[in-house]
Amino acid sequence: MLHNVKDNYIISVKNHVSQFEEKSFRKLASNDFKSWPSPREETWRLSRLGVLSRKEITPITPNFKKQISSASKFKGSKIIRFVDGALREDLSSKLPSGSTLKILGEEDSLRCFHKFKDSNLRDHPSTNVSFSCTPSIVKLTIEKDVKIRDLFEIIYEGGDDDTSVHPALYIELKDNSSITIIERFNHLSSLIMPLQLVELKKNASINSLKIFNDNQQSYNLSVNCTFLSEKSNYNSFSLIKGGLFTRSETHAYLKGENCNLNLNGVYLSAKNQHHDLTTAIYHDVPNCTSKQIVRGVLGGKSTGVFQGKVRVAPDAQKTDGQQMSRAILLSEDAIANAKPELEIYADDVICAHGATVGEIEDDQLFYLKSRGISEKKAKQILITAFLKDIINDSVEESIQNYVFEEAELGLSEIISKEI
Amino acid sequence: MGNLNYLTNIGKKMSLLEIKNAKLKLDDKDILKGLSLSVNSGEVHAIMGPNGSGKSTLSYMLAGRDGYELESGEVFLEEQSLLDMEADERARSGLFLAFQYPVELPGVGGMSFLREAVNSRRKYLGEDELDHLAFVKEARKVASKMFVKDEMLKRAVNVGFSGGEKKRFEILQMAMLKPKVSILDETDSGLDVDALKIVSDGVNAQRNDENAIVVITHYQRLLDYIVPDFVHILSDGNIIKSGGPELALEVEKNGYAGLINAA
Ligand SMILES: Nc1ncnc2c1ncn2[C@@H]1O[C@H](COP(=O)(O)OP(=O)(O)OP(=O)(O)O)[C@@H](O)[C@H]1O
Ligand SMILES: [Mg+2]
Repeated sequence: MLHNVKDNYIISVKNHVSQFEEKSFRKLASNDFKSWPSPREETWRLSRLGVLSRKEITPITPNFKKQISSASKFKGSKIIRFVDGALREDLSSKLPSGSTLKILGEEDSLRCFHKFKDSNLRDHPSTNVSFSCTPSIVKLTIEKDVKIRDLFEIIYEGGDDDTSVHPALYIELKDNSSITIIERFNHLSSLIMPLQLVELKKNASINSLKIFNDNQQSYNLSVNCTFLSEKSNYNSFSLIKGGLFTRSETHAYLKGENCNLNLNGVYLSAKNQHHDLTTAIYHDVPNCTSKQIVRGVLGGKSTGVFQGKVRVAPDAQKTDGQQMSRAILLSEDAIANAKPELEIYADDVICAHGATVGEIEDDQLFYLKSRGISEKKAKQILITAFLKDIINDSVEESIQNYVFEEAELGLSEIISKEI
Repeated sequence: MGNLNYLTNIGKKMSLLEIKNAKLKLDDKDILKGLSLSVNSGEVHAIMGPNGSGKSTLSYMLAGRDGYELESGEVFLEEQSLLDMEADERARSGLFLAFQYPVELPGVGGMSFLREAVNSRRKYLGEDELDHLAFVKEARKVASKMFVKDEMLKRAVNVGFSGGEKKRFEILQMAMLKPKVSILDETDSGLDVDALKIVSDGVNAQRNDENAIVVITHYQRLLDYIVPDFVHILSDGNIIKSGGPELALEVEKNGYAGLINAA
């Protein structure tokens, strides 16, 4: 008999939730899980889950005794650890006052589930799977007027071959609060489906950095859903370098006037990696800005995808939405795709988008070589600069160096093979 | 004997750049049509010529830009053939091109760019690479002579520089790299009078008996500051006339038309 991941996985997800009551959020979610992402769907056309279909995967049962391997990268940071998708309070830091971490009970989880479902993610397959299979929804709350000085470092690890992991995090920033959060994904699982709900209340502000660096065989299908209230700020940067297949999906709803969204990212792809940054931004009210800058460097037979959808509702006048993607191909077999999608129903808006895919600029290379710098070194300088440029522009200053070092590590993987 | 050798070398000019019968096509169009030029140590040559006559093509060809390979002819730098060297090798060997249009390098810091370039050349010459501090000190010293602010060295190379600043930065690079042969492609265009003086002083400070400079310009005015030993008129891919500084004055007065028709 041929394996069919869709059927197999649906069955194992349904088995996983069989112990829960009919009205529990897990059951509701599993009832909504009817199909696996198919290349026939527009948003999955460029990112196919090919190899994954040949695997037999079951949702993991977290092992709360598992040892950890990922060390913190920052002195004095507050650490929150997820192992096998489950929060490990024993391995996490005591949080500063004004911030709390809590495992949600059934009622609150159901509320979170419905918030997600009120967005356009109702039928999103990986979202339904993760709500079905998550060990628990964890909520991080930052209280009103609290400005968190400490860096929060959330580390996701664990997982085993042929299992799927489902960490679920709900972050709420109350009025006038702010925080900087670094998330690092270092799983070993075949399939990783992190869920994230972010709610920014009035004038709240978050700097978010996500580093995707899972095992070379892993599939990471990450979904973030963010709601922005009046005058709030979401500044997000994703660095994708790990996994066999990593897709970072962000859906942002600009619900209050004068809020500001940055969804920037870099992907560094080597060998047969597939990296995908998918965003959907909904401007529902006037006077908001959103900006996306995405850059990719690709070698080997890797592929990169950036698909960015911006929807400006009829009432959302004075929207300023910018989108710019650039990819550099270092090998003839690498492919980069960029697919902007603008749906603009208001007339007084500024929306610009641009995408380029190409090699290193000839004239820049020649300029460096004409100064005695070898071709190899010159290419390295230019690619590094290509990344430094966006990192300096879009990452919060105190963590720029860290991001840059992480990017350089990913880059050296590609460069050592291509130039 | 040693002394004698020394004496005989004094005043003896060495060939630094030798171009023989250079022919070059771009997109099947003949651009250089058998151009020859000899430049010896201690000399300054000026090349003038109408727009599109092939001046920048000549400089790209010399610097080794891809696509600017000769169809036939020869080029020697200090009697070494340049033609099978890559651009970076030529530069390390002592050839420098100040670009007519310097290229912007977003994200590449000026100081680290200069250091990489200088150390590449030093390594080639068998000199020690300069450490960061020593290098920064040297760069600041040269920069201050060129009236280039330290702040500019911290910025990305040529990004957001004014036209004049870009040209000054080119000459600063020349001063740091100490090349044998420098080709300055319209380094004077876009400079105001004060900047022209600064850049010319910068170039003149580097003139010595062991190097040579080729200045490409449209304006006789530059040649009041950087006084050439020879002036060449390049027209339609060939040098049609050579002479002393007075030739530049003639061009200034009568334009190219008379010269071209006479040739
Ligand atoms: N890629 C190309 N294909 C065909 N022709 C070219 C190409 N690049 C340059 N040319 C032509 O070669 C000729 C010489 O150009 P070049 O830039 O060398 O002139 P120049 O003497 O430096 O002019 P200017 O004084 O305007 O700087 C021009 O006619 C130009 O149009
Ligand atoms: Mg020119």
